[in-house]
Amino acid sequence: MSAITRYAAPTTLEEALQVLADGTATVLAGGTDLMPQGQDGRRPLGPTLLNIRRVGGLRGVAVDGGFIRIGALTTISDLLEDATVAARLPALATAADHFASDQIRNAGTVGGNICNASPAGDSIVPLLAYGAEVELASARGRRRVALKDFFTGPGRTVRAADELMTAALVPPPPPDFAARFEKFGTRPALDISTVSVGFGAQVTPEGLRGVRVAFGAAAPVPLRGARTEAALEGARLDEAVIAAAAAAARDEISPIDDVRASAWYRREMVHNLLRKILNDVAEA
Amino acid sequence: MVAIAKETLIGKRIPKLDAPDKVAGRTRYIHDLDLPGQLYGRVLRTDRPHARIKRIDTSKAKALKGVHAVITAEDTPRIPLGIGRDNPPLKLDKVRCIRDEIAAVAAESVAVADAALKLIEVEYEDLPVLASPEEALKEGAPVVQESHPDNIARTFDYEHGDVAKGEAESDLVYEDTFHLHYVTHCCMGVSGMIADFDEAGNLTVYSNTQVPFLFKKDMADVTGLDPARIRVIQPPVGGGFGSKLDIYPFEPICIFLAKATGRPVKMTFTREEEFVGSPTRQPVVLTLRSGVTRDGRLTFREVRTLHDNGGYTSWGATTPFVIMQTISSLYRVPNCRYHTDVVYTNNPYAGSFRGYGNLQATFAVETHMDRMAEALGLDPLAFRLQNAHDPGDVTPQGMHFKSCGMKDCLQKAADASDFVAKHARHAAAREGAGRVKRGIGMASMLHVGGGAKIHKTDGCGTILKIDDFGHITIMTGASEIGQGSETVLAQLVCEELGLPLSAVTVINNDTEITPWDVGVHASRTTFIAGNSAIRAARKARDKILAAASRSFGNGIPAEEMDLRGGYVVRDADGEPIVEIGKLIRSLHFGEKNDLVMTTEYYEPPSVMQDRHFKGDVSAAYAWAAQVAEVAVDLDTGIVRVERVTSAHDVGRVINRLGIEGQVEGGVVMGVGYAITENLQVENGRVLNPNFRDYKLVTAPEIPEMDLIFLETFDGEGPQGAKGIGEAPAIATAPAIANAIYNATGVRITALPFSPERVYRALREAEGPA
Amino acid sequence: MSLKHEIAFTLNGEEVRVAVPVAMSALAMLREVLGLTGTKYGCGEGECGACTIVVDGRSMNACLMFAVDCDGREVTTIEGLAHDAKAAPLREAFVAHWAVQCGFCTPGMIMQASNLLARRPDLDREAIKRGIEGNLCRCTGYKKIVDAVAAAAGNDG
Repeated sequence: MSAITRYAAPTTLEEALQVLADGTATVLAGGTDLMPQGQDGRRPLGPTLLNIRRVGGLRGVAVDGGFIRIGALTTISDLLEDATVAARLPALATAADHFASDQIRNAGTVGGNICNASPAGDSIVPLLAYGAEVELASARGRRRVALKDFFTGPGRTVRAADELMTAALVPPPPPDFAARFEKFGTRPALDISTVSVGFGAQVTPEGLRGVRVAFGAAAPVPLRGARTEAALEGARLDEAVIAAAAAAARDEISPIDDVRASAWYRREMVHNLLRKILNDVAEA
Repeated sequence: MVAIAKETLIGKRIPKLDAPDKVAGRTRYIHDLDLPGQLYGRVLRTDRPHARIKRIDTSKAKALKGVHAVITAEDTPRIPLGIGRDNPPLKLDKVRCIRDEIAAVAAESVAVADAALKLIEVEYEDLPVLASPEEALKEGAPVVQESHPDNIARTFDYEHGDVAKGEAESDLVYEDTFHLHYVTHCCMGVSGMIADFDEAGNLTVYSNTQVPFLFKKDMADVTGLDPARIRVIQPPVGGGFGSKLDIYPFEPICIFLAKATGRPVKMTFTREEEFVGSPTRQPVVLTLRSGVTRDGRLTFREVRTLHDNGGYTSWGATTPFVIMQTISSLYRVPNCRYHTDVVYTNNPYAGSFRGYGNLQATFAVETHMDRMAEALGLDPLAFRLQNAHDPGDVTPQGMHFKSCGMKDCLQKAADASDFVAKHARHAAAREGAGRVKRGIGMASMLHVGGGAKIHKTDGCGTILKIDDFGHITIMTGASEIGQGSETVLAQLVCEELGLPLSAVTVINNDTEITPWDVGVHASRTTFIAGNSAIRAARKARDKILAAASRSFGNGIPAEEMDLRGGYVVRDADGEPIVEIGKLIRSLHFGEKNDLVMTTEYYEPPSVMQDRHFKGDVSAAYAWAAQVAEVAVDLDTGIVRVERVTSAHDVGRVINRLGIEGQVEGGVVMGVGYAITENLQVENGRVLNPNFRDYKLVTAPEIPEMDLIFLETFDGEGPQGAKGIGEAPAIATAPAIANAIYNATGVRITALPFSPERVYRALREAEGPA
Repeated sequence: MSLKHEIAFTLNGEEVRVAVPVAMSALAMLREVLGLTGTKYGCGEGECGACTIVVDGRSMNACLMFAVDCDGREVTTIEGLAHDAKAAPLREAFVAHWAVQCGFCTPGMIMQASNLLARRPDLDREAIKRGIEGNLCRCTGYKKIVDAVAAAAGNDG
C-alpha cells in the first residue's frame, strides 16, 4: 500500500481538477468500493486521496442540454427516489432497486459504480441499454465518451489519471422506447450479479428500432451484444425471433467459471433472462 | 393484606433479560474489551494445504518496532490439542491444512502485528494435496498424520438385528448415495480471546468458549499450566451454534504470547480468518440401503458413510454418534448395520455445529423415505406414520422414548399445511404449463432432548442464594450463548420461589464463581441446567417455608404454605404470612443465624453408550416434523422456500417467545444449509471466505413459518420440557428436497440446492434437447 | 506511518474534533479512537450491516466509510440512539418481541430499522424485509426482528 501524503476535500470542480492535474490522485466518492479495495491492497490509495463528495454541482438528476444528466455523485438511493428516473429511465430504477443494500445505496454513487468498472456493475448495464455517455472533465478540458467504449478491462477505463467523471448523460428515450433490466440472483439485492441483462429499443409497428442489449458479468467488462442486437433490429418479436436473439446472446458472451457460477450456467441464464425480457416486451 | 393469587410464568411470552442492554449497544463482547497495557496478537497461517516446513525465519519480524514477541513451535511445549490430540497449536515440521498456524506475533497494535507477519519468512517443500477422502484412501496415498498411516482417523461400526434376514424379508430394496457439503457457523461476532497473567502466575482468560470447565482442563493440558490457576471469564458471545465446543490453536497461542510478553494479549479474527480458520460442519458421503415389505414396513437399513475429517480431529469426527441414532431409531428399523470411515485429508477440519451430524443423517434418511413411499405407491405421511415410534418404545440401540410426540408432529404438520391434498395436486401439475412449479415436502427428525451423556457425567451445578431483600442470585454452570438460557433459568427459579423476574441475577460467566457444568451443547441447557436450578430453588423454598412455619406461621405447617408475589402465603387462600425478605432478615439476625443458600448438582438419568454404541444416552428425546413448500423456477433453478410448517414435541413450552425464536432461527439456518450456504473448498483452499460469496439467508428470503408446539410433558424434564436448541435446523433440508421433487419430479441427492445445481439437474432430466 | 487529518463533526448531538489517519474507516475511528464500541465489526466489507450508523439522515456501513469523510457531518451511532426518546418504541419493540438473541447484529439492525422508519414510517412487512436486507443475523431467522420493526411502525396487524 503506497502511503497517503496528501488529502484533499475540495468544494469546487476547479479545485478538484487542480488536485487531479498531476495524475497521482485516487478519487474517493461514496467509498463503498474504494475502502475494501484500499484495505486489502487491491487499489493503492495514495499518494493523494481526493475526496470529491463535497464538490458542488455533481449530485442529482436533471434534464439539461438534450440529455438526462445524472451527476456523478448521485447516489443509488437518489436514483430510486428520483421522479425523472422513475418516469423516463425505469430500467435504471429497477437496477437501483437490485443494488446491494440500503446502506450501500445510501453511500454509493453512480460515478463510483461506473468508474469502478466491475464487469458486474449494476447501474452500468441499464445505462448501456439507454445509450448513455460518460462526461469527463480535467484541467485540460471536457470530453464525452460513449459508455460502451468506456471500459477497457476489469477495473479499467479510458478515463485518464487527471480526469474526473462528472456525469452520466442519457439521451431521453422516445415515447415508444421499451427498456428492461434483469439481474439473476437468489436475493432481491445484496448480491454481486451472476449475470444481468439490459434491453432498450423503440417498439414500432414495423419492428424494433435502435436495439441495445447489454450484459453484466458476462465478459471482462460490461458490454453490448452486437450480434444479439443485429438479430433483433427491425424485427417483430415473435417466438422465432426471440429464440434466435436469446441463442445469439448465449453464444456471443464470454463468461468465466468462478465461485458464483460456471460459464455454462451464465450462458444459460443470459439466454433465459433475455428470453424473459423479450417475451415481456412482446406482451406489453 | 389482600390475598395473593397463584400465578405462573411457565409458557408465557417473557422478554429476554439481557435484551435491553443489547438494544442499547451497551453489551460488551470480547471485541469490545481492552485491558490496560494490552498487546495485540496475530497468527501467521500457512497458505499451503500440505507441505513440509523447511525453515522459519522470524528475525525481521522481531526487529520491527512495536513488536514484543514472535513465537514459533520452537518456543512452545508442542503438546497437541483437539479431541484427537493431533493438532499442535503451532506447527513445527509440517502443515496439513491452509488454516495451519506457523508463527504468532504480539505487538502494540493490530497493524504492527500484521506488518510483522508479513516479515516472517517460511520456506516449504510442497507435498501432494489430498483433496478428498476418496483420494486419501487410495493405495499409496500420502499420509496426513503419521500416527495414522492409512489416513483413517476413526471408524465406527454399529449393528442390531440381522440385516441379511431383513433383506430376505424385503419385497423391495432401495439404495441412494447422498453428498453433504461444507458449511460453517458464521457467528456474527468473530472468534477472540484475551489472556492475562498476574504476577503470581495465575492466568485469566476472557474467552468465547461454550465449555468453560472442559476448556480449563484442555488448556492446562496444552500449555502445561496448572488448571487450578486458570480462570475462565466468558463475556457475552456473538453466536455459538457449537463452534466454541473445542479449543482451537489460537487460544493456547494467545496464552503463549501473554506468557512471553508479560502483558495481556488480545486476539480477534478478521472475517476472512473466521471463514478459513474456524470449524465447519463435516462433509459426508452417505450410502443408504433400505428394504421394505410391499405393505410399507421397513425391514432393514444398511448405511456406509465416508467423512472428510480434514487435517485434524475435532468434534466433527464424532458426529457418527448422532448419525447412527437417526439411522437406527428415527423409525422402527428391525435390522440395521452402520459403518463409518472418518478420513484425514488436507481440507479444513470440522467441529461441532448445531445438529451435530443429524442434518446429514436426516437429509439422507428422509429423502430416501420419500423415494420409497413413492415407489410403494404410499402417501409419504402414511408411510412415515406406519413406521414411526410410539411413547414407551425402546429402540434396539437402547433409546427409551418415555415421551414421544412423533406421530402427532407428523399429523399436525400435515394437517396445518394441507399436505396430502397439496402433495397430490402439485405432482399432477408437474407436466402443465408455467415455468414456476410448486411443491410440498415433509421430513421428520429425532434428536436428544435431555442432554447426551458423552462424558462420565452430563451434569450441571447450581448455587442459589437469596439475600435479605429477597433478591435471588443464580450461579449456574450453564453458559448463555444468546439462546436465552439465563431467562429460562430465572423463570424456572421464580416459579418455585414466587419472586418476580426483576429480583433475579444470573451469574453464568466466571469459573471462579459458577459451579461445574459440561457445557452448552446437545440441546441440554434448559433440561439439565433447568432441572439443576429448579432443585436448588426447591431446597431454598423448603428452607424458607420451614422457617416461616417456625417463626411466623401461627401453627400453619410448611406444606400448607406457598411462595407468591414475594410473600410466604397460606396455600389454601393466598393469605400473606410474611414477606420473603423479612423472613430472610429474621434468619440472618435471628437466634439461629443462617443463610438461604443452596447447591444442587443435577445428573440426568441417562447412561453412556457401551462399546457397541448401545444405551439410553439422553434423559428425553425431542421430535419434530417439518413441511416445506417451495417454488422452483425452471428457467433459473432458483428454489424459493415459501412456507415451513414446523411441529415440535417440546415436552412443554417454558418461554413461548424464546422457543419461537429458537425454532425460527433454526428453520432459517436449515434453509441456508439446504439452498444458499456452501463453503467452497478446492484443493484444500477455501474459495469464498466472505459474506459476499458465502451466502447466509437474508431477511427478504425467509419463508413464512407456522410453528406448532406439542406438549408431551416429559416426566423428567423441567416443568415437563425437553431441549429444543438443535431440533429446528435438522429436518428442513430434506423437507425442501422432497418439495423440490414434488414440484419437478427431479430428485437431487447432493446439497446445496444452488440454482446452478437445480437447473443442471432439471436440464439433465429433460434429456438431450 | 500514515497521514493524519483533523476533522470536526457532530457525533450523537455533540461536537467532536479528532485527528484520524486518512485511510482509517469510520468504524475504526468510532471503536478504536472514540471508544464507542456499540458499533460492531462483522465483516469489514459492507456485507453484514453490524456497523450501521446514520450519517446526515442516511444509514451507512461505517466499515465502508472513510473516517475523514465524517468531517462537517452529523453522525449517529447506537450510543446516540440509546438516549433518543424517539427511538424508544423501536428499542422496546425489539425487547418485547425477542428480536434479540446473541445481540451482535442488534445495534446495526436497530440503527438500520430506525433510519428506515424515519424515512418511510409506513413500511409494510415486505418493505421492512427489503430494508434490512443488508443486515445479517445468524440467530433469529429475522422473523421477530420484522415483527418488532412492524410493531414500532404501527403495522403489526
